[in-house]
Amino acid sequence: MNVLVLSGYGINCENETLHAFEVVGFKGKIVHINDLIQNPKQLNNYQVFAIPGGFSYGDDTGSGNAMAKKILTNLYDQLIDFSLKDKLIIGICNGCQILINLGLVPSLNKKDPEVAMIENKSGSYECRWVDVKVNNNKSPWLKNISILNLPVAHQEGQFMIPINLLKSIKANNLIGLQYINNHKKLAKGQFPFNPNGSKDDIAALTNQNGNVLAMMPHPERAFYHYHVPNWQNNTSKKFGDGYKIFMNAKKFFA
Amino acid sequence: MTNTIQILSIEKTGKESSLQKEHNNKSIKIIDGYFFSRNLDDQKFTKISKLISNDVSQTILTKKNVKKVLSSYSNFNWVVEIKFLPGVTDNIATTVKEIIKDNLKSSSKSFELGSTKIILIKGRKEDITKISKNEANPLIQTIKIYPFKQYLNNFKKNQFKIEKVKLPKKKYSKKEINLDISDHQLSLIGKLGIEENDKSRRGTLGLDLESLKVIRDYFSTIKRKPTDVEIETLAQTWSEHCKHKIFSAKIDDIQEGIFKKYIKGATEKIIQLRKDNFCVSLFTDNAGGIEFNKDWIICHKVETHNTPSALDPFGGAITGIVGVNRDCLGFGKGAKPIANTYAYYLADPNKKYQLYRQKNNKDPMLPANFIAKGIISGVRVGGNCSGIPTPQGNVYFDDRFAGKPLVFCGTVGIIPKKIKGKLSHKKKANPGDIILMAGGRVGKDGIHGATFSSEELDPNSPVSAVQIGDPITQKKMSDVIIRELRDENLYSSITDNGAGGLSSSIGEMAKESGGFIVNLEKVPLKYNGLYPWEIWVSESQERMTLAVPPANVKKVIKRFNARGVEATIIGKFIKKDKAIVKYNKTEILNLDMEFLHEGYPKLNLKTSFPKIKKEKKKIIKKSSLIDKLHKLLSSPNIVSKEFIATQYDHEVQATSIIKPLQGEGRIFGNATAIKPLFDDEKSIALSQAAYPQYAETNPYDMAGCSIDTAYKNLIVSGANSKKIAILDNFCWCSSDEPDRLYQLKEAAKACYDYAVAYQTPFISGKDSMFNDFKGFDKTGKSVKISIPPTLLISSIGVVDKISHLTKMTPDEGDILLVLGNTRNELQDSVYSKIVGYEKSKNPVVNSNDALCTYRNFEKANKLGIINSAIGIDLGGIGIAVTKMAIASKKGLTIDLKLKNKISVDQFLFSETQSRILVSMKKNKLVNFKKIFKGSDYTIIGKCTGSDVVEFKDNKKIIRSKISDFAMSYKQNIKGL
Repeated sequence: MNVLVLSGYGINCENETLHAFEVVGFKGKIVHINDLIQNPKQLNNYQVFAIPGGFSYGDDTGSGNAMAKKILTNLYDQLIDFSLKDKLIIGICNGCQILINLGLVPSLNKKDPEVAMIENKSGSYECRWVDVKVNNNKSPWLKNISILNLPVAHQEGQFMIPINLLKSIKANNLIGLQYINNHKKLAKGQFPFNPNGSKDDIAALTNQNGNVLAMMPHPERAFYHYHVPNWQNNTSKKFGDGYKIFMNAKKFFA
Repeated sequence: MTNTIQILSIEKTGKESSLQKEHNNKSIKIIDGYFFSRNLDDQKFTKISKLISNDVSQTILTKKNVKKVLSSYSNFNWVVEIKFLPGVTDNIATTVKEIIKDNLKSSSKSFELGSTKIILIKGRKEDITKISKNEANPLIQTIKIYPFKQYLNNFKKNQFKIEKVKLPKKKYSKKEINLDISDHQLSLIGKLGIEENDKSRRGTLGLDLESLKVIRDYFSTIKRKPTDVEIETLAQTWSEHCKHKIFSAKIDDIQEGIFKKYIKGATEKIIQLRKDNFCVSLFTDNAGGIEFNKDWIICHKVETHNTPSALDPFGGAITGIVGVNRDCLGFGKGAKPIANTYAYYLADPNKKYQLYRQKNNKDPMLPANFIAKGIISGVRVGGNCSGIPTPQGNVYFDDRFAGKPLVFCGTVGIIPKKIKGKLSHKKKANPGDIILMAGGRVGKDGIHGATFSSEELDPNSPVSAVQIGDPITQKKMSDVIIRELRDENLYSSITDNGAGGLSSSIGEMAKESGGFIVNLEKVPLKYNGLYPWEIWVSESQERMTLAVPPANVKKVIKRFNARGVEATIIGKFIKKDKAIVKYNKTEILNLDMEFLHEGYPKLNLKTSFPKIKKEKKKIIKKSSLIDKLHKLLSSPNIVSKEFIATQYDHEVQATSIIKPLQGEGRIFGNATAIKPLFDDEKSIALSQAAYPQYAETNPYDMAGCSIDTAYKNLIVSGANSKKIAILDNFCWCSSDEPDRLYQLKEAAKACYDYAVAYQTPFISGKDSMFNDFKGFDKTGKSVKISIPPTLLISSIGVVDKISHLTKMTPDEGDILLVLGNTRNELQDSVYSKIVGYEKSKNPVVNSNDALCTYRNFEKANKLGIINSAIGIDLGGIGIAVTKMAIASKKGLTIDLKLKNKISVDQFLFSETQSRILVSMKKNKLVNFKKIFKGSDYTIIGKCTGSDVVEFKDNKKIIRSKISDFAMSYKQNIKGL
């Protein structure tokens, strides 16, 4: 099982993302986008393609846009091909914004991007821990997960989805994660439970196959128990909730 | 055909909401504009627009749709157009050029473009003027206000303009400067700069008459006239900023100066006492290094960026943070930045100070809230975009920072002890090594620092006074260095380009080899028309200088280029101790290295005991204890700084282990910790402290308190007391006045005494000596505002085990204790400012008592006796107790049985140092008492787990709900 973790132009969570995959049993490599463009065939060696978080191109012209355009021009066919196979793709935070800008999720009409990532309703960058739940989504990434406690850290985490599309996203169960409040009910847009004002409290989307996951929260930053705020009150477990996402990837290939 | 692309967000953006709220006007819309230097044909327009916008969330404005689209939002009638002045770093434009280059495979060189923010309103002209004042800085941006009709017209007629950098075509001919002139003429050169042929002056060199005479003597010995480049270089190298002349000067009877005697002296004494390997690299490198574990070194550096932040708060602060990141990259062979720290000392953002740099209300200081907001955002963008967590910081407000904000930016780095068998903290440029400049290009940024006058800025001349950081360019460069070059040992030395630019970085590195030869025409420029001396001293950001063995040069350049980073050969290091600079083969600088670095005249300073301004006795305002607690909690220096912590990414790199917001109730902690390695449970604890409020009363005690608090916070967090190091940042004022120098000497003396007592070495430091504002108030009266002397002590320590890390949340049934003695030390306290002031003293640190408390705490914590702990500082025990309750959301009962004839208010609000509030299980008390035998502690109450905090004073019980305290603590800071 091999994972390719993308880097370059301001992506910055590649080390911890690779580490999380390695701990659950993957072999992996951080590959600079320019090297991948030079030699796209190396994708054949990998079962998982991960776009980690970061600030590619400083979020200029919209988060994820510039990197998405670079991929679109240079690697799009290869990535589509990858997504159509029995392989997994994950985009975390900036990676999520890139996947959305590429239209790889929800990918219902298979052409231009249908969803946009826009600025948080608060207007400011939000680095905080949130609770999210899985609702009827069949993605292998989310299998047997109900609730996760994970951190978000973004300026543009609000999913903007046209109404009709939202209907089909719901009909197809493509909402991956939703923000919930302290009573484990949907946050209903309430800050800070929903940190960005996303419609329907959406924190993640998948494609129809479920093999492509675009999520705003950072599972790799909630990997060990000591990542979790106030972990000193509960030292019995070794891992945090983020671990489950990476384990699911492992189980998919096991 | 058009020369602009303008994009509109369909839904209201966060920025629009906040503007609408702030200005109480629902008709405000912001457009992202891009202006091109020439017209785009329709095909190109469509292609580029598509590349830089989003179909779903945005609309592209065109000549055809603009009127209709905008009218659907409101009947706008005013427009403000904000764009960067020519030559100011425009990061968005850089990205757009790169996108165009990448995707259209066409060269973006064929046109220039600039990003623009266009704000539309429906309202009065005054409203748009007000908005423009809050959103733009005239020093770096042009602000055009015009009616909406004209905007539509501009659209129709392609009248959106971008000004290119236009510099007069200059042919450089070597310029020699005659120094055989009168003393008056000579001092004019120092004050106003070198005279150009048209009799204009280049701007201050900051060289005094004595220095200029030394230069004259040097050149008369070598029998030639100096060139302009030589004088500029000497001015840079000998500047206070680079040479720290005040710290190295003879002062009163201290021959070796206060740096050698008190700061370095303390560290040397400590090393002598300790006999271990803790200190690895001290004072000589870009940062100070200590041992982390057997394989790794960590380094720490803290810088200030005060003057630039006063002029352009955002640019000054972002440059501050990415600049200090480069100090880590330039530590040893290159340390990876793993944490940022910040500390801001600001004027009250809710006040209007109305200060002007020139008479008749000309050249105003930026408003205090604009400065505060800009600084906070600058570090946010710099830190977040670089992927470096920013967990640790603090903010302090005082009117005396109205003329000059203090902006401290720090970075922690990590590097393996050995790289390919060689010690990584040792570096040496060898004779024959190539000088390689990597990263950004060179413009007129930061030349001669700040000129302070916006009037001098010609609209077409590039802005040289301020720099704006470009974190993404730096991140790309940093990744190549740390990941691809360093561990293969491809270069022999590295340093960053900060103050003084190439002249300083190459000059410093050449000490390792002997000397250097540089060919300035090889340096890549942002735009043509720079004079050689400008290239040489420019402070353009995002550049590192590397010494590369000739055999590796091709490989190194190739690696940089493959990652989209420029790297250029600009000269070589030589053995001979000569500094040589050429420009198109003409030699324009040739100095002895010894003279360049050590030739400056040494100062001889005298101090005198200052008149102490006695604080007027203020009448105590009568109010209840609960009321006082609420007032203190919501006061700006105690109130939560959560809004900063949540906008600074402290989780990136997945190392955050003690976060800035602690407990379920989210208390803004005074220490944080990161665990930098996946395979070692050791952590790094960070804290910092400064007490400018105590400075005028007693600078010695002020310094003592800063060291004590910075040290204590790490002990409380669980750090190993033998593995704590500190950094000093002196920000002083009027350092040419004997009484200010007296305060400086006193503070430095305390640094020695307390560092040696605690055996915590100084590993790095920096000073900024003239933080004064001289100008006018709104009536035209001349005013001088000096900051209070401020010594920031940053502390960095190693926590050996995860289990040693403490929390501040007690559990139900815990008993509460105050470790350390409480004295009547209310002078200059938060309490004295808010409630009033009665006969009291300023806090004085007794290092023996303090150490006794700290050693015992450390022992008790390792044995698992301590359940929770919080350092007691501003607001005293009263605030520490309420913070514990807010953090844990668990009620506490405090018994005010007082000893030592101390009053209730003195007990609760005194800011006596070296105290810790702890909680523990009842059954641990026996063991606790054994450890703390002979040490001062008081049992003050217990954790009840209810929803109130109670104070029992004899039979009277006063209580308040925790949630009410939390409300006070979490109030917004007015003006921010």
